[in-house]
Amino acid sequence: MKNGFEIRKGHNFPAIHWLWQSQVGISILSLTLSLILLLSMSLISGAQPFAVLASLFEGALRGKHSIISTIRETAIITLAGLAVLIPIRVGFFNIGGQGQIEIGALAAVIVASNLQGSPAVVITAALVAAMAGGALTVFVPLFLKIKRGASEVTTTIMMNFACIQLVSAMITGVLKDPGAFYGTTRAIPEEYRLPFFPPELGLHMGVWVTLIIAMIAYWVMKRTVFGMYLKAVGSNKDAAQASGISVDKVLAVAVLAGAALAGLAGGIQAMGVTYKVAEGWSKTWGFTGIPVAFLGGNSLGVIPVAFLLAILETGARHMQAMTGVPSALVYVFQGIPVLLFVCLSAMRLLNKKSSSA
Amino acid sequence: MIESWWVDLLLAALRAATPLIFCALGILVAERAGVLHIGVEGVMLAGALAAIIGTVLGGNPWAGMLATIAAGIIAGIILAFISVSLPTNQVVIGIAFNLVSLGVTSFLFRLLAKQLQVLVPAIPPLLFGLSPFALAAIVLIVVMWWFLFWTGPGLKLRSVGENTHAAHASGINVVYVRFAALIIASVLAALGGAALTMGWVRSFTDNVTLGRGFIALAAVYFGRWNPLLALSACLIFGAGEALAFRGQGTGAGLNPHYYLMLPYILTLLVVGLAGMARGPGDAGKPYLRR
Repeated sequence: MKNGFEIRKGHNFPAIHWLWQSQVGISILSLTLSLILLLSMSLISGAQPFAVLASLFEGALRGKHSIISTIRETAIITLAGLAVLIPIRVGFFNIGGQGQIEIGALAAVIVASNLQGSPAVVITAALVAAMAGGALTVFVPLFLKIKRGASEVTTTIMMNFACIQLVSAMITGVLKDPGAFYGTTRAIPEEYRLPFFPPELGLHMGVWVTLIIAMIAYWVMKRTVFGMYLKAVGSNKDAAQASGISVDKVLAVAVLAGAALAGLAGGIQAMGVTYKVAEGWSKTWGFTGIPVAFLGGNSLGVIPVAFLLAILETGARHMQAMTGVPSALVYVFQGIPVLLFVCLSAMRLLNKKSSSA
Repeated sequence: MIESWWVDLLLAALRAATPLIFCALGILVAERAGVLHIGVEGVMLAGALAAIIGTVLGGNPWAGMLATIAAGIIAGIILAFISVSLPTNQVVIGIAFNLVSLGVTSFLFRLLAKQLQVLVPAIPPLLFGLSPFALAAIVLIVVMWWFLFWTGPGLKLRSVGENTHAAHASGINVVYVRFAALIIASVLAALGGAALTMGWVRSFTDNVTLGRGFIALAAVYFGRWNPLLALSACLIFGAGEALAFRGQGTGAGLNPHYYLMLPYILTLLVVGLAGMARGPGDAGKPYLRR
């Protein structure tokens, strides 16, 4: 299933053959096709496709400021992608990333603005609170899945909407900054914000934390017994149960870990970039995580995909200003590659079946 | 006084439930034929935009209806091609389709923003202060119940959902039935979107559906894939939404956002209480001829 090694007879194009036969190849193929589609859609709104592409990259990668914001965006999207990827290994489709991010951010802000102490302690406590917030958010869908057999697809989405409303209620209600005219929390005190590392570069610690987490996740999934359990539960629950793996426990750990990473994404964004939670502070990172997880394929693969989507997100505003193409086009680019990826994988599967039969 | 309060609430609940009922019907048809219809939110969004574009550019509500049905058919064909003809994960397809639909509708809305920033004329109530959409929804629920449980084609459709290979063995063309079911389902979901924009809020905004497609999914699961039970679930969710608006209007005490949480919390509670609902046997499984 994963890697087809058999060689189809009479195939004259090794490059196309490689693209077709490996998971990475199909990811690249579907991203490229989507990019072509994106550019042809920009023709509809009367813009030059190459001008659109140029303005996208210019907006995202020209100058220190935009490069840094693209990298910060990459970190958030990577964590959101991991939040989908890890649970999906055990067959739990975590669509609740957005709610987990919002709750995580709010938890981090609450801790960071109420706790006193040395910065290292407070920042760690705030990030742990963010992770706990995310994990707490997924607890209801997880409980309903294990105990009642309810599909997580509806419950995590319901939790999304409930959490977004809860955060809005908090920042316009009890946690509102009395001096502000709109719903926002107070800003985090200066000393409890995520420090820059290296200090002269405006890149906060969260980016490095994200990189380390992605590597750890890769190692856990590839090289440890627990990673093996994840794979076993994900591919066949009954067989895993029969071979003595506690399926519910593995499921719960994977799902809670994924949600905790989504919470952490919110915490990092709130403590490293926005310094508060305000109305409209977030983008739809939780949903961006879905294409990232599918196209990335594994914990390190999510990083390049996240980088590509981050370029699109940070470059979109510049694109709209320069060429008049609506920035909403970027959302199309989050769905189309997944559709293509799933279709191409299915076509390959069918192809293999018919050639082996 | 108290009676009129109840009547008002019921009417408001039905008004809020109308888009849900259409979507729930769509989900029912698709899932009874064994295709998970997670993309209902995206189809609804497409229908919602098509209704407004049709009404504004065509000049009357009928053009809006026509555009909605066309959007539903196109979305249905796309979804059917991907999730029936190919052995794909239908949940992933649905979620990705929703993202694409959100992008495409927002993109088209921006392109046509100048023409579309108007309120379309309200559709006059037909009977007892109910809009034609609400009445059609109730009629369709009964028709669907009759179709699924009392007719031959309905039986065929359900058998495809329960066991594809048995259905195939008895001479039913599984792919054909699933294709047809998904197209009908998508037209119904698109009508749900039209009921929302044309029949209720009278304009389009980005992501105007706000997860109503998923609430409809929950209603179907709660209603155990039975049209009449799904109707009651839709009414309960509609009542939650109506209460939220009412609470917002009076503005007494509680933050309005708590009321807006209500439908979602209610859905979670209902899903928790409904428990191990067993759907059609082969729902979600791609059909591969043996």
